Amino acid sequence: MNRSIRLVAAGVYLFFGLLVLMLTYIQVIRGPEYRDDERNPRLLAARAGRERGPIVARDGRLIAESLEVSSQTAAFERTYPFDDLFAHPVGYATFLFAERGLESERSADLSSSRNLTFSGMIDELLGRDTDGQGLRLTLSPELQEAARAGLGTQLGAVVAIEPSTGEVLAMYSSPTYDPNQLVAGDTAYGDAINRDPTKPLLDRTRAELYPPGSAFKVITTAAALESGTANARTLFEDVPELILPGSTSTISNFNQGLCNGGEPVTLAVAFARSCNTVFGQLGLELAEDDFVDMAQAFGFNQDLGLDMELIESEIPTDFTSNRAGMAQSAIGERDVRATPVQMAMVAATVANGGISMQPYLVAETFERDLTVIQTMQPAIRERAIGPGTAAALKDLMINTVNQGTGRSAAIEGAEVGGKTGTAQGPGGNPDLWFIGFARNDERAIAIAVVVEDGGLVGADGTGGAVAAPIARNVMAAWLAGS
Amino acid sequence: MNRIAEASLIVGSAVLAALGVAIANLSSGGSVDAQVALTFVSFVVSWGGLWVTVRRLTPGANPYLLPLASILSAVGMVEVYRLNPSLGSLQRWWLLTAAALGSLTILWLRDGTAVLRRYRYLLLMAGVLLLMSPLLPGSLPLGGVTVNGSRLWLRLNLWGDSSLQFQPGELGKLALIVFFASYLAERRQALTLVHRKVGTLEIPEPRQLMPLLVAWLASLIVMVYQRDLGASLLLFAVFMAMLYMATGQAVFPLTGVGLFAIGTAGAFQAFSHVQRRYSAWIAPFDDFEGAGYQIVQSLFAMGSGSIAGSGIGLGRPDLIPSAATDFIFAAIAEETGFVGAVGVLIGFALLVAAGFGIAVRSRDPFRKLLAAGITTVIGVQSIIIIGGVTRLLPLTGITLPFMSYGGSSLLSNTVALSILLVISQEEHR
Repeated sequence: MNRSIRLVAAGVYLFFGLLVLMLTYIQVIRGPEYRDDERNPRLLAARAGRERGPIVARDGRLIAESLEVSSQTAAFERTYPFDDLFAHPVGYATFLFAERGLESERSADLSSSRNLTFSGMIDELLGRDTDGQGLRLTLSPELQEAARAGLGTQLGAVVAIEPSTGEVLAMYSSPTYDPNQLVAGDTAYGDAINRDPTKPLLDRTRAELYPPGSAFKVITTAAALESGTANARTLFEDVPELILPGSTSTISNFNQGLCNGGEPVTLAVAFARSCNTVFGQLGLELAEDDFVDMAQAFGFNQDLGLDMELIESEIPTDFTSNRAGMAQSAIGERDVRATPVQMAMVAATVANGGISMQPYLVAETFERDLTVIQTMQPAIRERAIGPGTAAALKDLMINTVNQGTGRSAAIEGAEVGGKTGTAQGPGGNPDLWFIGFARNDERAIAIAVVVEDGGLVGADGTGGAVAAPIARNVMAAWLAGS
Repeated sequence: MNRIAEASLIVGSAVLAALGVAIANLSSGGSVDAQVALTFVSFVVSWGGLWVTVRRLTPGANPYLLPLASILSAVGMVEVYRLNPSLGSLQRWWLLTAAALGSLTILWLRDGTAVLRRYRYLLLMAGVLLLMSPLLPGSLPLGGVTVNGSRLWLRLNLWGDSSLQFQPGELGKLALIVFFASYLAERRQALTLVHRKVGTLEIPEPRQLMPLLVAWLASLIVMVYQRDLGASLLLFAVFMAMLYMATGQAVFPLTGVGLFAIGTAGAFQAFSHVQRRYSAWIAPFDDFEGAGYQIVQSLFAMGSGSIAGSGIGLGRPDLIPSAATDFIFAAIAEETGFVGAVGVLIGFALLVAAGFGIAVRSRDPFRKLLAAGITTVIGVQSIIIIGGVTRLLPLTGITLPFMSYGGSSLLSNTVALSILLVISQEEHR
């Protein structure tokens, strides 16, 4: 019996040996990998309870700060004084619901690395910087408020950019949510906003693609002007319906009408009145490369270089066997899709003489004692169009606000230009756009507003009637200064 | 090793437990409080008391068992307290009860373990009844309860709303091992010598394979009706090991493994929870929010602990599900690191080595098999649960002897340890 007892004992020891090997694998070999795995709740727990640097608006008002909730365990909790106003760009840092927005993307900078671990104590002893950094944003609370007031209960987004620097002045997505309730661990609220069909958590400014519709005609026109295919005075035939080559599709104008009573119409007038048949013809006349390259110069299919996650706007790059598709793309339909940030960049580029500035939200990072660590310098992203083309486009857009579809964006005492869009959205009712710019003696602003599904007006909503007044109020708030 | 060294080690384990509780307090912002003193006192009274009993009644008993068990339970106590101080104070009461029960066992068996042999059919019945008792309807004053999908618990309704819960299977397991040891000690000659020839092959008389079938059926019942894969695996592995140790014939465990494989394959086909366990074992990260959640949390915990550990009270073992019971080893591995985790394994290896040593030195087949059986249970049980949390084996919920929170487990393991002590005394005479 002793022989078999010894063999069983040997079997047991063999398994103990295997356990040591497994432990070596888990704790020594894979240990650091498991420790730093994004799914490891320790990472979040460690960050959530620690002090984070503050986030302030461009005027210095606090958007997010850490308050000590328990001095014994050095636990901190994030609080957002503006509640839901900055929820999408700033996001939240919570224990139960993880992190989102800048709170997530800049978590490493914001979090204090002070902790009770051995390496943390060594850092402390060596005087290494263990405090979290603060962030000063380019966003303005007044403009966020104006965007919220304008959108009201409608679904949509507002993005405003300073054209000469690329500073993002407003970034508001509707509906929004209250990060403070998530910090408080309100799971019922968390579930509700997760399940809400209007998707309050979705940042419509940078994580949603919309057909830009007629707002895209700015890019089509830029391609026509830059390539010499047409200028503002070029005459086009006014037809109620454009039959597309090699296809059964047609392009017709808004309300199936004529653009100029059947008389030949200039590009300038067609732009101001947003005549689809004219831009369809232009799409058929443009060289494919000129058209696609222009869209990409404005940022389509490109990384815009925003200092936050931003999905790329899309345009097909091959129209060789699909002239009909190019005509439909020229009026911003078919497969053209854009984020509101992208469309604000289009307006900003025109307003800035054709030079596209790299957009950014974080103006500077600063230490606990408010000394600035790093200041973001404006950078040119791309010279999208020449100054002549930019000037001509600007005139077309100003004309649109003065006497075309964008009249309700006009601001007294300011030069305002824009382009409306009423795009066939997926929801049945159209997505309503206004992109544009405004300037007075001191300040300039470019903007994109989108309202989903016809807004409060519904099927009869137009970009000029619904989106343009919202843009007007946000731009006026900026020009009025503070 | 003399008795003074043994006593010093036991006092050492009390100091270890008290220090650990103090550190756990300090690292969560508390102070050295009454909990530290209570822990020290409860260790001195329980393990020290058991030591005094052994010293008085069975002075020739093996000197390594008690210090090893008390050190393991000290580490377990610190982690349980750190995870949940109120569970920690309950565990102190369980520890005192277990030591009392251990002392009573030694008192009862001070003249030898032969008395156990006499009651073996009673023990068989008791063991089977205890194993099956959680299947009693929950509406009775004494009825079964389903916890986390497994029906292992028995609840005794006391006055009003208060009730006492325990896992009768833990003690039932021990009763069955005693029965098996005495049954095999008697029948091992027959099992070894009587063969039937099938062609050129010699196989044991089919009638002799009955106990094997009984064990197989018992473990299948536990697996199917109580959904307790861990206990089922443990029971079966220990019975097969005992059968092999009794007969020295590998054909028994090999047939047994074959039967178990068939049973497991059948269970895999029939029960989705078995399939989930399997996929969670093979690829835990594929469904890390679902079936793989527990094991992934365990891996994250141990990985975060790395070599030296986070320190007691400084990790986040509270993020592991069932950290104080099934996953106590992962929690210890997080806070004491690879060093501490291997230390725990060494502790179990030494305990098992001492147990097998007692078995090998025993002159009587019954005592030999009983000592080997008890030792195998402790060894296999720790391998199953530590293997489960480290992904060496599929995860099955089972307690880690002397370390997990839980009264039933601590009681039955302390009684088993007391029986081992008595057996070692008998050989000393």
